[in-house]
Amino acid sequence: MGVALSLMDINQSEVAVVDRATESVAQKKARFERDALQYTNQLYAAAMRYTKDPHDAQDLVQDTYAKAFVAFHQFEPGTNLKAWLYRILTTTFINTYRKDQRRPQISDGELEDWQIYDAASHTSDQGRSAEDVALEGIVDVDVRAALAAMSEDFRMAVYLADVEGFSYKEIAEIVGVPAGTVMSRLHRGRKLLRTSLAGYAKDRGFNRGGSDE
Amino acid sequence: MNNLNNAQPVPCDKILQTLVLFIDHELASEPEYQSYLNHFQECPECYEEMKYESDAIAFMKELLQMNCNEQAPQELHDRILQQTQVLAGQSQVQFFSSTTVTNFTFDGTTSIQVTQEFTQEFTQEFTQEIRHDFTQDQ
Repeated sequence: MGVALSLMDINQSEVAVVDRATESVAQKKARFERDALQYTNQLYAAAMRYTKDPHDAQDLVQDTYAKAFVAFHQFEPGTNLKAWLYRILTTTFINTYRKDQRRPQISDGELEDWQIYDAASHTSDQGRSAEDVALEGIVDVDVRAALAAMSEDFRMAVYLADVEGFSYKEIAEIVGVPAGTVMSRLHRGRKLLRTSLAGYAKDRGFNRGGSDE
Repeated sequence: MNNLNNAQPVPCDKILQTLVLFIDHELASEPEYQSYLNHFQECPECYEEMKYESDAIAFMKELLQMNCNEQAPQELHDRILQQTQVLAGQSQVQFFSSTTVTNFTFDGTTSIQVTQEFTQEFTQEFTQEIRHDFTQDQ
């Protein structure tokens, strides 16, 4: 109670104190539309990475919002709504869409790989510059293809960290694995992505010189 | 006041093995962060390595963000609005909002349980209905 009062003192227009117990359905709906629906585009882009298919991605986002609305009274206002929605999206994908595909998940031996930075592999300056030059030739289809080709666990970790900017801890909660696992997946995923993008660029030749698709 | 600058020195191999934590702002504490900064001031090799990795990660982030920003089709926005409308209508009659299952027991008491599976199956069926409606509309 004291908290609610002091929040109202600070700024009534910015800090909406929601009493979820007495909130009417219409109020809940308005709050949901105002706060949650703004993430539709972002969730759709994430769903495209997860499902790799525009129809499945739409269905996945729609399912996510259905579950989110039904469970919206459980969401603690003021905490991270975006992460909460991503958690529903990811869990729904893992439980439903992935099951449909019946694709065996590649074991990545993630917990054995605790060394998160392999200094020895990065000591050659020549190797570096070749990789960097290669990446200059990258085009957008390559980026999506390289991501799509990665194993799902790596793809999720890289996407959630490097596109969405979630912390390791947030990703751990979204995906439902320990933070150490996230760290390992992210590190290895980034490495794989870098290598495979360099490969794509090499295949296209470095000197395409601004020709458009 | 200046405890931060008296942070324990960190050896190069430890710095190099955990560089990515520094770059990702995932070090456990501010003093630890400061001890990395101190190290970089005194060790150009580690600094170069950090700079290189940091630039590479930033470059990759930019590349990913530029290429993973599809906009949801209008149909999806419409579907979600309609679905929210219908779900709100359903929960008016207290059918949807708490997904409850009622059990009658021998001693005449009634218990109410919230079941997650029920929510999942139910929303699944429901979202398919909305999709079906949309295909008929068009």
